[in-house]
Amino acid sequence: MLTHIWKKEIRGELYTWKSMLWLVIASLLFSFTSYLLLTNAELSLLDQTELMWLLGKIIIGVALLIVTIDASSIITTEFEKETAESLFLAPVSLKDFILGKLFASLTLWAAIFVVSIPYILVASAGSGLGLAFMGYVALLGTIGVIGFIFLIFGISLLYRSSKNTITTALIILLAFATPALFTSTLKNDIVSQVFSAANPIDNMFNSLDNVLVDYKTSLIDNWQFLLPLVVFCMIAFAILFLSAKRFEKQGIVKND
Amino acid sequence: MKKTAIIYLFMVLIIGCGSARAQITGAPLLSMQILSSKTLSGTAGDFVTVEGQITNAGSKPLGDVTTYLSLMDNQNKLPVDLEDWSAEKGLYIGTIDAGQTLPLNWKIHFVKAGAYSLIIIAEAAGNDLPQVSAITQFNVSPKRNLNPGQVLPVALGTPIVLIFVLFMLSYKRRVDE
Repeated sequence: MLTHIWKKEIRGELYTWKSMLWLVIASLLFSFTSYLLLTNAELSLLDQTELMWLLGKIIIGVALLIVTIDASSIITTEFEKETAESLFLAPVSLKDFILGKLFASLTLWAAIFVVSIPYILVASAGSGLGLAFMGYVALLGTIGVIGFIFLIFGISLLYRSSKNTITTALIILLAFATPALFTSTLKNDIVSQVFSAANPIDNMFNSLDNVLVDYKTSLIDNWQFLLPLVVFCMIAFAILFLSAKRFEKQGIVKND
Repeated sequence: MKKTAIIYLFMVLIIGCGSARAQITGAPLLSMQILSSKTLSGTAGDFVTVEGQITNAGSKPLGDVTTYLSLMDNQNKLPVDLEDWSAEKGLYIGTIDAGQTLPLNWKIHFVKAGAYSLIIIAEAAGNDLPQVSAITQFNVSPKRNLNPGQVLPVALGTPIVLIFVLFMLSYKRRVDE
């Protein structure tokens, strides 16, 4: 049943040219960024590893934005189109329903990652860091995307409204992403440093920086960034778990 | 009275001359040379190493010796901010013994095309006058990148391949229906 839900979502999301146009636009964005980084008179003078870091941030940023929007509507549309009731009348458990939707959202991340591979290879040519760059974008992106999907699914089951879920999910993404783009001089005080250490997007970007700029490519060298990311995933999963329990208790028709 | 004033004036002149002479003779006998002057020219984006040397030609050790680069844009007649060009523009040497020669190295990142002149400046403790090397001229040619790292085929090819895949999917769907 899980596979059925997954395939159904993928058919809806990736089968028509209209539903895939976002991927072409994402690839145009990567094209524009990589061409600009490598050919612009001043940007091309940056260290190659810094160019790779910037490209990595853009790939993960685009993926988080697209997956956030997709995950915000993938569950709530079932309630808005009133298909949830018939779906749960069929032998579909809530676990299968959530996992099917999770894999569907992760497929979008996988599509973005596959499209980004040529750009990763061309940006890292000759640096000796191509595989590490690709591996860490895949690892950090996957952990981060899973955490955000858990969180957004939890919100979806609470709100059951696309509009409210998308607004909340986007503002959460913005709240995490904006401080991550601050320069290190703005992170000198203790509050910023604590928030930065807990912020999943900050940890993804800092780990990429650690790998590409500081050449610390082993997982042990990056545990201080990977651990908070895993903790974020666990907290997001706990929110989803509680929200799913509440959903099971309330039933499809919300009483509030 | 007049005689006393003349004697005082004479003494002041003697002390003044002595002090000025002390400043000149006390000036550090440091000499700097840029050794890599012939290999400095390059293209914007290149990293080059400015190799030089500093020699204490005096008979006494000199302490707290610091050397730094000064770069001048010959076209704009303006000094260049070395922050973007070199990670460490100042080198602290410390003490140089009499007759000792030490190597100096600066890694410079050529940022902008143009004609430049470069000097090494040295300061030592207890001396007001800095010492400078001879001027070295060099040129940085502009970087012309139309296809660095084969980015153009990837930047153009990937969206085209994706559009083709979308078209094929759409066509297959219509045929299936």
